Amino acid sequence: MIYLTIIICSVLGVILGMNLPTISYSYSGYLAIAIIAALDSVFGGITSVLKKNFDIKIFVSGFFGNAILAMLLTYLGEKLNVDIYLAAVIVFVGRMFTNLSIIRRYYIDKIAKKYEKKTKMS
Amino acid sequence: MKKREKWQVYIIGGLCFLTAASISVQYRSVQKYTTKADVSVQSMSENKLRDNVLKEQENYQKLTKELQTKLDELENLRKISASNSEESKQLETELSELNRLLGYTDVKGKGLVITLEDADSSKNGYTNENIIHDLDLVDIVNELFNAGAEAISINGQRITTSSSINCNGNVVKINNEKISVPFVIKAIGSPEGLYGTMTRPGSYLSLMEDGAIKIKIEKKDELTVSKFNGTHQFKYMQVAE
Repeated sequence: MIYLTIIICSVLGVILGMNLPTISYSYSGYLAIAIIAALDSVFGGITSVLKKNFDIKIFVSGFFGNAILAMLLTYLGEKLNVDIYLAAVIVFVGRMFTNLSIIRRYYIDKIAKKYEKKTKMS
Repeated sequence: MKKREKWQVYIIGGLCFLTAASISVQYRSVQKYTTKADVSVQSMSENKLRDNVLKEQENYQKLTKELQTKLDELENLRKISASNSEESKQLETELSELNRLLGYTDVKGKGLVITLEDADSSKNGYTNENIIHDLDLVDIVNELFNAGAEAISINGQRITTSSSINCNGNVVKINNEKISVPFVIKAIGSPEGLYGTMTRPGSYLSLMEDGAIKIKIEKKDELTVSKFNGTHQFKYMQVAE
């Protein structure tokens, strides 16, 4: 159910995005950092679902909060001539990898257990 | 499934929708702004330069749009204030007439559209006769005015009393705006008269055609010549009594 919703919504989103006008060049940097923040939140959400401590309030606030904070930092960096967005990218991508490894471990464990059960039964 | 879980799923779906939409928008924007040429050479300073160029272009477009809206506003205000009294109404008609003559308004009418394009560089090499120069445009404009053209624009740049046509490297500068091939010259006037003059043997266009330049001449029953976007400045000129 949840994976189906995610896939359908993503496909619909891509279709909508193909028909939206492109954004102007000076804003594309902000959108890029917001996308990375959003992806980080999504992976964080999946991890917390697997760990069974998923909270929708934390998920939604993290989704928008992280994206907005990252955009603000990018703006500040542009004003100060420091590439602060790099720090945001490092943190988000680092977290994404951590979350991905947790997800990977979870499913590998699950499959391994299933396999063990099968071998014991037979 | 519990009710509470159901709307959670909807929220997650909505966020995924948002993320996917923004990713595809960003993808298309990036595709638009990066050309194939600069993927191979990606130096820091070059990226910055491209950044600046794109930003300036954006700014320019924004400012021209703003100018246009302000001009429209001014036009509206003028109309409103003119509707107050008979005298100002008369002044308004006079003003619009003068604006028409000076090239400050879009005008339409019968006329001729000439499209000029450089010759293919494969044809007898890259020679001087194969490309269109500023002086070619000057001669064509002169011939058009000679043949009775009332309003002329080249690539949207109106030829007014103070317009100049200059060479600027690989582009041509008209009214201080850079324009490049293909040149679309629109002229309002008698289509038959203009056509006859431009295609007669020995006309400038027939000479240019010998140099393999691609020329297309069309008679039009209705065409619009856009207005002059700049301003005329007269500092020293006074009326002689």
